[in-house]
Amino acid sequence: MSATLAPSLAAGPEPWQQFICRVCGLIYDEAKGDADSGLAPGTRFQDIPDDWACPLCGVGKADFEPYTPPAAGAPRPVAAAHATTTAPLRRATPGVVIVGAGRAGWQVAQALREGDATLPITVVSACTGDVYDKPTLSVAVARGLDVGTLVRESAAHAAARLGVRLLCDTQAVAIDVPRRRLRTTRGTLRYGHLVLAHGAAPVLPAVLPAKDVWRINDLTAYRAMRAALASGPQRVAIVGAGLVGCELANDLALAGHDITLLDLQPRPLAAQLPPAASQRLLQAWQGLPIHFEGGVQVIGVERCAASPMPGALRPPSPPALRLRLQDGRALAVDQIVAATGLRAPGRLASSAGLAFDAAVGGIVVDAATLATSQPRIHALGDCVVVHGQASRYIEPIARQSRAIAAAVLGQPATEARTPPPPVLRVKTSAFPITVTGSLLGAGRWMALANTAEELRLQRLSPDGAVLATLVARPPRQAPAPAA
Amino acid sequence: MDLAELKAPPPATPRSTSPTSVLDAVREIADGPLMAVADAVDRGTYPREVMKKLGAAGAYGAHLGPGAEAGDYMLAIRAMAEVSRVCGATGFMVWCQQVCGLYLQQSGNPALTGRVLAAHACGDRLGGTGMSNPMKAYAGIEPLLLKATPVAGDYRVNGTLPWVSNLGQDHYSGTLAAVEGQDRELMFLLRCDAPGVTLRECPSFSAMEGTNTWALRCTDVFIGADEVIADPAKAWIAHVRAGFILLQTGFGLGVTQGAIDSMWRVEPALGHVNQYLEDRPDELQAELDTLTARIEVLAKTPFDHGKAYLIDVLDVRLHASELALRAAQSALMHAGARGYLLSSDVQRRVRESHFVAIVSPAIKHLRLLIAQLSQAEMPA
Repeated sequence: MSATLAPSLAAGPEPWQQFICRVCGLIYDEAKGDADSGLAPGTRFQDIPDDWACPLCGVGKADFEPYTPPAAGAPRPVAAAHATTTAPLRRATPGVVIVGAGRAGWQVAQALREGDATLPITVVSACTGDVYDKPTLSVAVARGLDVGTLVRESAAHAAARLGVRLLCDTQAVAIDVPRRRLRTTRGTLRYGHLVLAHGAAPVLPAVLPAKDVWRINDLTAYRAMRAALASGPQRVAIVGAGLVGCELANDLALAGHDITLLDLQPRPLAAQLPPAASQRLLQAWQGLPIHFEGGVQVIGVERCAASPMPGALRPPSPPALRLRLQDGRALAVDQIVAATGLRAPGRLASSAGLAFDAAVGGIVVDAATLATSQPRIHALGDCVVVHGQASRYIEPIARQSRAIAAAVLGQPATEARTPPPPVLRVKTSAFPITVTGSLLGAGRWMALANTAEELRLQRLSPDGAVLATLVARPPRQAPAPAA
Repeated sequence: MDLAELKAPPPATPRSTSPTSVLDAVREIADGPLMAVADAVDRGTYPREVMKKLGAAGAYGAHLGPGAEAGDYMLAIRAMAEVSRVCGATGFMVWCQQVCGLYLQQSGNPALTGRVLAAHACGDRLGGTGMSNPMKAYAGIEPLLLKATPVAGDYRVNGTLPWVSNLGQDHYSGTLAAVEGQDRELMFLLRCDAPGVTLRECPSFSAMEGTNTWALRCTDVFIGADEVIADPAKAWIAHVRAGFILLQTGFGLGVTQGAIDSMWRVEPALGHVNQYLEDRPDELQAELDTLTARIEVLAKTPFDHGKAYLIDVLDVRLHASELALRAAQSALMHAGARGYLLSSDVQRRVRESHFVAIVSPAIKHLRLLIAQLSQAEMPA
């Protein structure tokens, strides 16, 4: 904004700017700063240290660009809340059909649109398709994000911006490979290329009934859980102390809930991190209402007796659920959250005869091209397995989207080299941990620093090469639970 | 006599009958006596003799047994398809008969699994299924129309079910009533000659008038232990639901095949101009074969209670409806004016294909069910 146009601002400070991460779409707002990284509100982007990393996906400052929020009311939605197709589906020119409107689905749509302005693109979404950052679901309280503000862009707006036809609240049911058709609950779509970006679904052990246990893997479920927790502090059991379980425990504890975090392993994040990091995390949690129960197995859930008569003077409400443990104990709680891992659903893949890694739970794709085992079908994001590994992080999605767009549009692949392993960020605000490098294969951890200010470890291969580096620093001010 | 012998029902079909010989016999009936009466059935004649013959040929018992086990569902579906290829109305009644047999077989009620089932499976007795309303009720589309009032351990049933097919004075139908004042349902065999049952005429349909489709009116109909199929019924319905829907695919597959056959018949004369049409017979046949292969896999496990399995079953049923509509429509385009004659099987098949697509569960209903099943259950 120029001084001549806005003289009243010329004397005062420049207006706050926003910057968007090109990889994951996170928006850095100078007005708000970034509390996790110790950036106070009002920190100018140019003043951010060069070693600062995107709090969502971990890329550096150079990967941000200036961002202007879309003006309210500007876009004209081409797709309303429901499918708005007027032409018969099978008469339409088969373009690209994308299954899934999470980050992976939208990023592929964007990469395709950038490469071809007229290609027909259809996005089929089982939910509303609104654009939001899934990683923020486990850190929303710490970041002070209101549940109502998590949607970054409405699905209709994104569809209009990218010129795609959106079929929301539509299930993809089966793929007919020889005829290149996708069967959905709103009719059958022809495709020239099909991109599967439908993500993974929470794995629920048989002992945890779906009707009694929350699983947080999308905005709808998260909103419903937060609504159930809105009445005041509650007793919450979180089963599974992996990344999601630990982040949710930290975040719901900040919101004032009394958390019991349970895992089969004796320490949190045992599958990802060395013992020293787990120890420091547990210490950091001492200031929060988080009680960790390691080495325990859940064997069932019971519903307790009904709540008191409506209208009666209520004592503090009795616990709704009892979580039974193998050691004979039972935890009385108000809510149970399962964070027991993810698997890509295999039904759609199996209808197309796609190679599927049943052990990891994902569609097998080529690392460079993201091609599945069937022609003209690609897959990316949480639903794929590369070299026997699922990679359920945000960071690889942008590269995967570009690779798929190049393959679909017949353009040379831009990045042939093997991508680096994604940065692992444990966004537990009491003790945020970052791991860069590889956690695969044989290796041992060595401490470089283990002080109050910093934990720094290196993972070394048997011949002494550095495989990975772990850095964790407690925040300057210990996070406190909400009053 | 040991217990196993007591429990085991008599064999439903002659066990020596091979799938090939069942299909050969059914095909012979379809292309012979059934083809001769197909137009009359369309206009209102119930093909009693053909229905009896199909039973004797093994078309109704292939999927039943031994005992309560699943038989050869694919054979049952193929038999229904062979009939539907020639006459959609009769094919639909084969399904009514097959699924009513499924109710009897799965009832676990010795009063129904013995001689009653044996007579049903070979076509000596005929019956239907009044489950359109209950299926819609379970999907939340409409309320249950029959009410059962408990009376001294038995029930009195009241209410009217519209449009139940394959009925007659000596027929029966498996159906469901809400138990008055309780949160459960009763599944039972309703005999058309029971006191209090009246068959009332339905308005005319656009096709398939010979299916003996009536409104079933019940006034204080006594239902005792010998008629009970399942009480309570909810879990039992979930047990037979996939098989019920899967069997229906035979009807759509057959109507589609009939349409494709009629397209080939005009190909020598009209191929030079029909080449400009979409949905040519070779394309439709390839799609039908793919669908049939998908159904064949699902037919191996009709009592799979998994959600993923049920979604697949709903989707093949849906695909059969969509394909029947497209194939019948395209057959009319291929035949041209000669297919528009009132005497043409081509235009009859167009109307039959509409029935495939609207009979419960209809296309929209199937899509609703798939959408409902795809939602992850969460705490309330």
